[in-house]
Amino acid sequence: MFRNINSRLPSEETLGSFLMEKRRAVVTGIGVVSPLGNSASVFYEALKAGRSGIRAMTEWHGEFGKNIAGAPVSLAPAEVKAISRKVRRTMGNAALFSGVAAAQAVAQSGLDAAEFSAGRIGCVIGSTVGSASSMTEACVAEFEGRRDDLSACHFFRLMSHSSSFNVADMFGINGIQLSTNSACASGLQAVGTALELIQLGKADAVIAGGSDEATPLVASSFQLLYALAEEESAEPETLSRPFDARRQGLVCSEGAGILVVEELEHARRRGAEILFEVAGYATNCSGWHVSHSDAKQIANCMRTALDDAGIAPSEVDYVSAHATGTRVGDQAEAEAIREVLGGGVPVSSLKGHIGHTLGASGALELAAVAGMMRENLVLPTRNLEEVDDCAGILLPRTAEERELRVCLKNSIAFGGVNATLVCRRFG
Amino acid sequence: MERQEIIKAVNSIFSSRFELEESELTEDKNLVEDLQLDSLDMVDMIVGLQQKFGIMLRDNKDIRNVRTLGDVYNLFEKLIEEHPEIVDKIK
Repeated sequence: MFRNINSRLPSEETLGSFLMEKRRAVVTGIGVVSPLGNSASVFYEALKAGRSGIRAMTEWHGEFGKNIAGAPVSLAPAEVKAISRKVRRTMGNAALFSGVAAAQAVAQSGLDAAEFSAGRIGCVIGSTVGSASSMTEACVAEFEGRRDDLSACHFFRLMSHSSSFNVADMFGINGIQLSTNSACASGLQAVGTALELIQLGKADAVIAGGSDEATPLVASSFQLLYALAEEESAEPETLSRPFDARRQGLVCSEGAGILVVEELEHARRRGAEILFEVAGYATNCSGWHVSHSDAKQIANCMRTALDDAGIAPSEVDYVSAHATGTRVGDQAEAEAIREVLGGGVPVSSLKGHIGHTLGASGALELAAVAGMMRENLVLPTRNLEEVDDCAGILLPRTAEERELRVCLKNSIAFGGVNATLVCRRFG
Repeated sequence: MERQEIIKAVNSIFSSRFELEESELTEDKNLVEDLQLDSLDMVDMIVGLQQKFGIMLRDNKDIRNVRTLGDVYNLFEKLIEEHPEIVDKIK
């Protein structure tokens, strides 16, 4: 009996060969919708120029009774109308951001439209909720007794996988469709999942990333936990201060980052431009607290991702930190980075420029990592002036030229979720 | 209420909800074949007409059997004839 079962298992030799020939994944397209503009290049140049996307959300004054800082996205009507009505009607803002960013990423990749319906292209996009604004709208209609006023499309806007199925419909993708909905790790988990689907041979390319909306409902959720930066006397653009001694919490932001992650040989055959390699990935959870960051498990996650990539800690050139500007979160991540990499690897968080784009952040910030690797330039953390409890890691205050071959991207989320992606320069 | 006014009110829903040009909205147009409405759109047509005319239509059997835009105009002509108070509710 056992012999029969064993005869169906791959031999050690076959298994070894499979592991040796693990398929590699590269990024061939990046799309961005952000508070600093709606393309990867505009976004990166704005970060490089040290611009801030954060302002006083005067439109939220009624909900909060005071000025709250935020970083909203602005879409041009032409960007919105470029998506057909039959897809757009089921999109809340988060899915709309995903759609606009996905169109950019797919255009840059040059993927053949005929491939989308051949079953080998996937779509993996996550967000904290499908659409926070649509959720609010539905609740208000319910409480006001106007349930019959809701569109037939409304539920599709707020469903947790709204970004993923809407983007799949935009392109006629009929391969694997998944949603990695794990709050602020959603976007990075999506890109990591894309790598794994490609490694496993289940897809040849995946449209992957994250998106989210900034709404009063979302901002007030952080405010309730004393995790929102809300000092009224401060200039809004100075409020998001990752790793800084005077940090008070995060600034709520929104956007989408969508990447085309493609199997290496598939990209080579097409002659596609390769932006960087997705060399390794890991995700884990703390298993003990839903909102406290866990330095030990963040460190484990980073080590496992490096192992997955077959890269030693000493080879890491830069870390794009999750660091949102909360007291506990930044300190725990700094501790984990110090433990895994020591104090000599430059680390920065882009949330000083754009605030926390939540489920979008991991994938969106990869767009900046791609720019940094291309230019061998480490961008600093905006608003970082003085370090206290995050000491012991290298936190550049100005842009620094440096050879960037291997970069890590961390995401850390409510629910105790951690994710790390290893990016390697290609060629 | 004149038929032209009913047409104008109904067409406003088709323009705003389905982004159709006024020139496309003629009586003979089949909602599915010509105007490309699908099942979700048909529900949204009912939702939009309910809001516009201030009446509940979900359980109206006739609205679920309309085929052309002319059928929709005819239905509202009949409804207004039977319930003239609808005119005061039009938004």
